[in-house]
Amino acid sequence: MDLESLLPMLLGLAWLTPLASFVAILFFGPRMGPHGRNAAWVATAAIATSFVLSLAAFVFWLAHHPVQAVDHGGHGSSHAAAASANPFRTVALADADAHADEHGNATHAGHSPTAYSGDWYTLYQGGRLKLSIGWYIDALTVLMFVMITFIATCIHIYASGYMHDELHDVTDHEVHLADGHHLHRPGRFCRFFQALSLFCFSMLGIVIAGNLAMVFIFWELVGICSWFLIGFYFERQSASTAANKAFIVNRIGDFGMLIGLMALWGALGTLHFADHSVQGEQQPGLFSLVRPAATGHALQVPDGMVAFAAADDVGRIARAHSDDPAAGVHEVAGKIDGWRNLGVGQWLLFVAGIGIFCGCVGKSAQFPLFVWLPDAMEGPTPVSALVHSATMVAAGVYLVGRFYPVLTPDVLLVIAYVGAITLFISATIALVANDIKRVLAYSTVSQLGYMMLALGVGGWLAGLFHLVTHAFFKSLLFLCSGSVIHACHTNDMRKMGGLAKVMPWTAGTMLVGCLAIIGAGIPFVIGTSGYYSKDSILAQALSFSQANPAHSILYWAVAGGALLTAFYMFRLWFMTFAGSPRDHHIAEHAHESPQVMVAPLIALAVMAVVAGWTLPGGFGIANLLEQARPAGTDVGGAGYFFSTLRIPAEHESHVGAIHITATMTAFLTAAAGVLLAALMYVWKLISPGMVAAMFRPLYTLLSNRWYFDEIYHALFVSPVLAVASLASNTDRGVIDRFIDGVAWAARQVAGIDAWIDRTIVDGLVNATANATWNTGLELKKLQTGHLRQYVMFIVMGTVALFVLASLLLRNSFAG
Amino acid sequence: MTPESLTQPAFWPLSIIVFLPALVAAFLSLPILPKGKEESVRWIALLTMAVVFLLSLWMAVPGLFGATGPGQFVVGEPGMQDVVKRAWIPAFGIEYLLGVDGISMPLVVLTTFLSMLAAAASWPITKNVKAYFVLFLLLVTGMLGVFVSLDFMLFYVFWEVMLLPMYFLIGIWGGPRREYAAIKFFLYTLLGSVLMLLAILMLYYSSDLRVLSDEQLLASHVVSPVLEGAARTAALAAVHSAQAPIHTFNIMALSQIGQLPVSPFAATQLWGMSLEMWAFLLLLIGFVIKVPVFPVHTWLPDAHVEAPTPISMILAGVLLKLGGYGILRICYPICPGAGLALAWLVCGLGVVSMVYGAFAALAQKDFKRMVAYSSVSHMGYVMLGLGVWSAVSGQEYRWDAWAQGVNGAMFQMLAHGISSAGMFFMVGVLYDRVHHRNLEEFGGIFSRMPVYSGLAMALFFAGLGLPGLCGFIGEVLVTLSSWNYSRGLAVCSAFTVILTAAYILWAIQRVYLGAEYKGPHGDHLTPITPRELAIATPLVFFAILFGVAPQLLFNYVTPSVNRQVETLAEWTRTVHDAGRQPLPATAASEAKDAAGVLAAADAPLPIGQR
Repeated sequence: MDLESLLPMLLGLAWLTPLASFVAILFFGPRMGPHGRNAAWVATAAIATSFVLSLAAFVFWLAHHPVQAVDHGGHGSSHAAAASANPFRTVALADADAHADEHGNATHAGHSPTAYSGDWYTLYQGGRLKLSIGWYIDALTVLMFVMITFIATCIHIYASGYMHDELHDVTDHEVHLADGHHLHRPGRFCRFFQALSLFCFSMLGIVIAGNLAMVFIFWELVGICSWFLIGFYFERQSASTAANKAFIVNRIGDFGMLIGLMALWGALGTLHFADHSVQGEQQPGLFSLVRPAATGHALQVPDGMVAFAAADDVGRIARAHSDDPAAGVHEVAGKIDGWRNLGVGQWLLFVAGIGIFCGCVGKSAQFPLFVWLPDAMEGPTPVSALVHSATMVAAGVYLVGRFYPVLTPDVLLVIAYVGAITLFISATIALVANDIKRVLAYSTVSQLGYMMLALGVGGWLAGLFHLVTHAFFKSLLFLCSGSVIHACHTNDMRKMGGLAKVMPWTAGTMLVGCLAIIGAGIPFVIGTSGYYSKDSILAQALSFSQANPAHSILYWAVAGGALLTAFYMFRLWFMTFAGSPRDHHIAEHAHESPQVMVAPLIALAVMAVVAGWTLPGGFGIANLLEQARPAGTDVGGAGYFFSTLRIPAEHESHVGAIHITATMTAFLTAAAGVLLAALMYVWKLISPGMVAAMFRPLYTLLSNRWYFDEIYHALFVSPVLAVASLASNTDRGVIDRFIDGVAWAARQVAGIDAWIDRTIVDGLVNATANATWNTGLELKKLQTGHLRQYVMFIVMGTVALFVLASLLLRNSFAG
Repeated sequence: MTPESLTQPAFWPLSIIVFLPALVAAFLSLPILPKGKEESVRWIALLTMAVVFLLSLWMAVPGLFGATGPGQFVVGEPGMQDVVKRAWIPAFGIEYLLGVDGISMPLVVLTTFLSMLAAAASWPITKNVKAYFVLFLLLVTGMLGVFVSLDFMLFYVFWEVMLLPMYFLIGIWGGPRREYAAIKFFLYTLLGSVLMLLAILMLYYSSDLRVLSDEQLLASHVVSPVLEGAARTAALAAVHSAQAPIHTFNIMALSQIGQLPVSPFAATQLWGMSLEMWAFLLLLIGFVIKVPVFPVHTWLPDAHVEAPTPISMILAGVLLKLGGYGILRICYPICPGAGLALAWLVCGLGVVSMVYGAFAALAQKDFKRMVAYSSVSHMGYVMLGLGVWSAVSGQEYRWDAWAQGVNGAMFQMLAHGISSAGMFFMVGVLYDRVHHRNLEEFGGIFSRMPVYSGLAMALFFAGLGLPGLCGFIGEVLVTLSSWNYSRGLAVCSAFTVILTAAYILWAIQRVYLGAEYKGPHGDHLTPITPRELAIATPLVFFAILFGVAPQLLFNYVTPSVNRQVETLAEWTRTVHDAGRQPLPATAASEAKDAAGVLAAADAPLPIGQR
């Protein structure tokens, strides 16, 4: 079996196995062992199977596309393209017209990544338009599959221990009933794993998706899974509100995404990434439309968009040729290049890029839609680790990476700024948060901002590299925090402290996680995974700001963010594990978590250290990712609307000077942050309270999360509700009143009518009736009882009838 | 090559499907059944509906019950099938003309399916059971008749037949304000049907069958294609040799006439507008009242709130679809010129309804009222999808996007039929137990009734447009297609997804989630009964099935829709655009040919400004 049919099969199965688990637990969950205990094993077995299948796909991939050793100057991230000898291939197996087409790319300038794509299933087909479920598999897909299934497996195992409370009846101390008691409810162990399985299926669906429509479908599905999981403790008002908030805020992003989809679909008629077949005919996909091989994969506005934007001119031509449409099409085709050179259609491509990015802003909790993620911490901690740090929220970054070839430099600049604002705001909020999970949540938002910024300044590899490494250390950090919460039964760090003695494994692994997130390492020698990915982001940002001095604030945001990250992460660690217990009641009851929870911590800690390494021979995540680099994105680009903008090529960031400056900046900022945290929380040389008092207004602003929730409530929620009640009142007060008024008027008219009826019409009728009555009385006199008279009447009547009939029916008789 | 079912008019399947409910209603209204046998009346009605449903299923899905036979629907065939043609009132050319195509067949099955479930949902009705079911069955006949009649007068008769039972069903078996709601419903729809009658007569009296070619006469079943040889020739000759104009109520023939290069509908002027414009507007008002769209939607919330649960299911599931069906089947094909000129109106009304309905739903305190407004919002997608006439010169007359919109609208109608009927039923289940619908006084239902809540949430998610459930496909197709018609409307329609999520999730939170039930009669919150389960499960099943496998429906819908859209796109290019400017040589001669037909028919009609 060759790779192009093997990979979709393996990854397809890996994708569908969690769905099978979901269905099984949905129907039989409560009957799986006592209290549904075995549901955990069903779900874990399913995701483990997915992991094994993904790993198999990974191995096959490596066998066919060995990761090549490249010069990486001490770093994993290298520019040297692992150009593959394999051609860009497109496979469509759907709809029985198995069809393979090969595009040799040897003659094209620039390289194309190796990717396999095709359709499994058609949702809608009308004319040339086709919405389908399909796959697009390249090195990035395979890597994401392995990463997601590995972390998910760890978290499933962890959750089977963490969620054991749900195996029996639960008393929820956070819910107060009307009668003053706490809520007592049956456990929901199996329901948790049911939702987790559905989530894994949806998440893998995004990753394997072969077109944007499918991305959107699974995008919504992960959203609803997130809704289920955040609202797992749905008896709590805060949990169900947080769940709704998450979904609705995400929908705001999806609103933008829909517009992006429309801009692409309306003008290009396809949402497929790669070339594909429709009704046996080969159609170019988005990537080759925007970066056609003919231009050496340089970005250009596709013909469809040019024609769409020039609809007025096209219309004139088409009307002039309405008798011969082919001639019209031909004439339009001849003018496309001229229009394109005038910049026609640029706005459409810009809208498409910004639109798709809006979806990513929602899902990846970027400014201004990041407010849902901290609230999402209402969900159980394994959910926070899997959904709200490692995978789902990374989907936005993934999509920007996947969609990268279509994003114009102008869009990238917007992305970079959104990322910078996000990383800065959320890092500042994390400085003062006291809820251990919320610190991690804001740190997640901040790190996602890093990734977006990296992608925005041209660091395709840097952003996605950080996505992968971050997934490992952030899920590790969350699981560690879960372990702490499990032991202390509180999220409040002010009640913790000194836990390192009782929970050594948790403390140790969490320290690894903290070191990884701040990018700790020995400069130019070796480091944790974050060291490599963060350095490449810094380097790219520096290279970008050197190319665009006007935008050098982006570099300072990254550097400043690194300092803040180091500070709040170690503040967290010191407050939780170092020193002496602040709350002795909690410290006495604290205990190390069971093995089933510690084992995943260790596995993830190992990955958090080694994930960034590049082995001798060149094997490493960075080089693997390089195989998937979209065609044409290795050369940088220039802005259209921002005409001075220049996106530097990623390999420029490996120039010695930039590289050294970036590495040293990363090291020094991290060290400074840790040092500051230690001064305040270990050696207590600086009192945090005093600092807070000194910067009281700032502290208030930060601890109120910049008042984003309040501002949004005033700016958006209240007006929407006001408009809603206005609409509702318009119905009752205006339209219905009008209708009722018309009805009232009709009744008045009817009243007059009735009066006329009674007096005039009825008067006439009554008069007639009286007359009839009187006539009857008169006629009564005819009833004499004399037979002779009766016979005479009958005869006269008959004759009269005959005369009448013959007069009326003369024609018929005559005919 | 015509499929067998076209050449063998199968009189029985369609006629039985339409009239069996009415026959049973007549039987029930006879004083045969002794009083007090209410249970048997219920069973008779339910069994009738089950038979009708199975019959429609037999017809719609060939091979489902073994061998295929004549009278069964040929999936993928775009034209009219199983056409039944009998003279009814020959003096006016009114015919008993029935038929189904890919547009009406799924709607017929939806109607029989929902009516069957609604009959089962009628068990809690205890007042005057016999009268209730008699009216119910008459209503079913009316609805089915509308979907299958191809004669405009017959269509109108069925339309009216449907109106009266609905009035009584709301007015007698409804809630406290039932009389207000029933009168409101009646007056709104009566206004609609009066205008429709006006339009029908206008079209009738300006129609003339003689302008149609032989092929068109055969295709529109004016001359039955079953006729062979001499009989056919004679029938065709009879039409062409007629001295006076032959008026027609045949909807297919009216469409053919309306799409002629020089159509009498477009040519006749009336008070400053073409007749087709008038007819389109009058028909549109009649249909949009049914859909309903802003601002003629206010009968819907009242009717729903007061109507008993099964009637709400029928109302939302089927009755609203008649409006969309009418626009698709009648307005656009018969009056294409007006359709193109007023596409902005149809789309605009759709988008306004979407946004307005969603906002209004957000503000409701009454559970059923909220679902009713969600119907207004969701039916707005149907209007938008039907209206996106984007096969215009600027798009080089490509009709894919418009076809996608219309297909999406059709899918949305069917999907909304399932999800809204389900939502209303789910509200009814709660109402039967606690006798209130105040959204603020629920909460904690999930813990009390888990199976019910699971099914209900699935249906509400279908209404939310969640992928994998039926509500998604229609909405996304319509939204995506609207971009090519108007960017602004597209953005507004995309905006609705936020509001939809908000009102549905907020309602779910207030009703199903939370720690405890806050309203009265908490002890009546018993788990779902087997009867209720038997109604809810099929709805959820189809909501998932059509969400996962939309092709099951598109296989029926797409061929017919695409053909109509392609025809009208061609019309836009060859008639509308070519006629609007100095005619190039070839187009001029085509037009002359067409005008020649008219001239030969001795109907000197002025060529109006199109």
